[in-house]
Amino acid sequence: MQDIADSNQTALSMKMTVTKDKLVESVTHVMKAVSSRTTIPILTGIKITASLDGVTLTGSDSDVSIKSFIPLSENDQQNVTVEKTGQIVLQAKVFSDIVRKLPSDTIAIEVDQRLITKITAGSSEFTLNGLDPEEYPLLPVIDEEDNNIVSIKKDLLKHVIRQTVFAVSTSETRPVLTGVRWNIQNGKLDCVSTDSHRLAQRVIPISTDDETKYHNIVIPGKSLNELYKILDDNGEEPVRVIITKNQILFQIKNLDFFSRLLEGNYPDTDRLIPTDSKTTITLSTKGLLHAIERASLLAKEERNNVVKLRTHENSVEILSQSAELGRVYEDVPVETIEGEELKISFSAKLTMEALSRIDAQTIQINFTGAMRPFVIRPIGDEGILMLILPVRTF
Amino acid sequence: MSWKTFIEKQKTAATIFTHALRKNELSHAYILEGPKGTGKREMAKLLAQTLFCENRKGIEPCHECRNCRRIASGNHPDIVWVKKEEDATLIKKEQITYLTREFAYRSVESQIKLFIIEDADLMSTQAANSLLKFIEEPHQNTVALLLTEHIHQLLDTIISRCQVLTFSALSRKDLEDKLIEQGISKPLAALSSQLTNRYDEAISYCKDEWFANARLLVIQLEQKLFNSTQAGLSTMYELFAPHFKDQKQWDIALDLLLFWYRDMMSIHLDRLSEVVYCDKLDELKSQTLQKSLQHIADDMAYILKAKRQLLSHVNGLSVMEELIVKLQGEA
Repeated sequence: MQDIADSNQTALSMKMTVTKDKLVESVTHVMKAVSSRTTIPILTGIKITASLDGVTLTGSDSDVSIKSFIPLSENDQQNVTVEKTGQIVLQAKVFSDIVRKLPSDTIAIEVDQRLITKITAGSSEFTLNGLDPEEYPLLPVIDEEDNNIVSIKKDLLKHVIRQTVFAVSTSETRPVLTGVRWNIQNGKLDCVSTDSHRLAQRVIPISTDDETKYHNIVIPGKSLNELYKILDDNGEEPVRVIITKNQILFQIKNLDFFSRLLEGNYPDTDRLIPTDSKTTITLSTKGLLHAIERASLLAKEERNNVVKLRTHENSVEILSQSAELGRVYEDVPVETIEGEELKISFSAKLTMEALSRIDAQTIQINFTGAMRPFVIRPIGDEGILMLILPVRTF
Repeated sequence: MSWKTFIEKQKTAATIFTHALRKNELSHAYILEGPKGTGKREMAKLLAQTLFCENRKGIEPCHECRNCRRIASGNHPDIVWVKKEEDATLIKKEQITYLTREFAYRSVESQIKLFIIEDADLMSTQAANSLLKFIEEPHQNTVALLLTEHIHQLLDTIISRCQVLTFSALSRKDLEDKLIEQGISKPLAALSSQLTNRYDEAISYCKDEWFANARLLVIQLEQKLFNSTQAGLSTMYELFAPHFKDQKQWDIALDLLLFWYRDMMSIHLDRLSEVVYCDKLDELKSQTLQKSLQHIADDMAYILKAKRQLLSHVNGLSVMEELIVKLQGEA
């Protein structure tokens, strides 16, 4: 009986108003992390936290979590008023649909002690059954004192992701290879990915004061792809990167992007990269890429999409053939060519993927024989390296 | 549920776990094996709560902290719990992919990860093989629990890498109590727990109207057999023949009949607590007065013989005919 009497004067556990635009924007962000196919029931919801400095929305599929923060006011514009701080979890799909369709510019959200949530906008009123916010997973708490914070410019981060994540393995047989290894040491961030047929590496200088606590981590490729989509084109903005025991956090203005890390030791890739060179060629990136694209038109009809490269005095010949269709060869001019004569076969697909991630005009390729991996480096950017294993042909 | 209560019910398994927990020497993979309803899932949940509980007292979890509550509601992100979906016959490929991916990721909140696979025998060989790799080279602080009712359908390679904990079948009394707990009436619970020691089978008998009717028919038949010399066969033709259709059903009919005679024997020997048709005690008593112990034993032998005939594919109806004539002749 006591309960019923109490609920009549419903003690509120949260009360706030927020502008519709801001809420829709935030919901759109966090919905990117919410998956309908989750095995953890609470993750079908969005967590809403009203605190004294603003409102935070959280969405997660446990691999990736996104937190979007709406500050009380921004550019002299009042976004949020919080009358009673608190939190609630609401069904993500329903909540996001409701928010988008509400009629007025401001939305009021009230939660009572029984987790019943009233969303009012204009003359429209929804009453939703909330879920217990205590059930929601805890995201790592960031200790500002810890020396785990690295700052990277947004456009640079986008490049780093684009130039490495394509080479991760898609097979689950060695799960650690489905991620990109980040190594932060000596003022450098060294990113490597490999699927054991090719390897991509990007090294950039970064500003860290000190050695970070967890300097060698493996970030799932899937998470980095998600992050790439979220990073907008406002390139000069810095992204704060914070590494904790189990997760990595990317902080972009009012958005926090968390990803879980992969378990296990990443193989030592340094010894895979040949240091010597028997044949060295310098040539136009686009020129080679387009020639391989053309050769691949026939090669891809075969099972393995393999093209051959043969060196001449001042050009290289790209050729391929298909038993059924015919053959193609093309002379590609080179700027310089040094060392032994060479005939080598390699996968057109892997090489095209690597070349298309290089922005520099010209590249240098180092070969150490037909059976050994070769290395592509853009001229003028020491930080990028693409390694490809040749294909044995008879 | 607590370890203390579990020690009483599943001594072996609970002792091994409590011992390992006390010494902090949990192995990386266990198979919890035993018939349905023996508490495998409850023990898995209890172990999870023990591992994650924030205010653990000794080895008993508090059941009240945030982690304990989240484990109870299936919301703890560091516990990967895979079970067969409701309509599926096997654990699906996506579930295995999810599982192997979770093996590869670090935990979300804590430093421990717990994997629980229910009905582990329902994995395809391929799926089981992909799991093998992770059970072989476990990461630190991961524990896997494989729950199964049919351990022999698991790959030998998996079994050999796990510690096997066998859950003993419920005793008749435990099964009966458990059924009564589920709201089953005592006579039905008693009877079905005689037929089987598997909880799932017993409860499906109890919920089947056919079974309740079969029981009533057997009681009716016994009344006829004792009260008149003619009606036995006709009851059989009129009522039994349409009710019991295949060999399996006839076999149940014979079992039910057998329990009736065994009850009479129990009354003779003054073991009233063992009477299965406990609600028909008066009838049983009055019938017992008409029969000697030797008589009852003979009758039971007839029934057992009939069961053998049924097994060698004699038509159920003819087996029953012969049996009734014999039982009546004796009476």
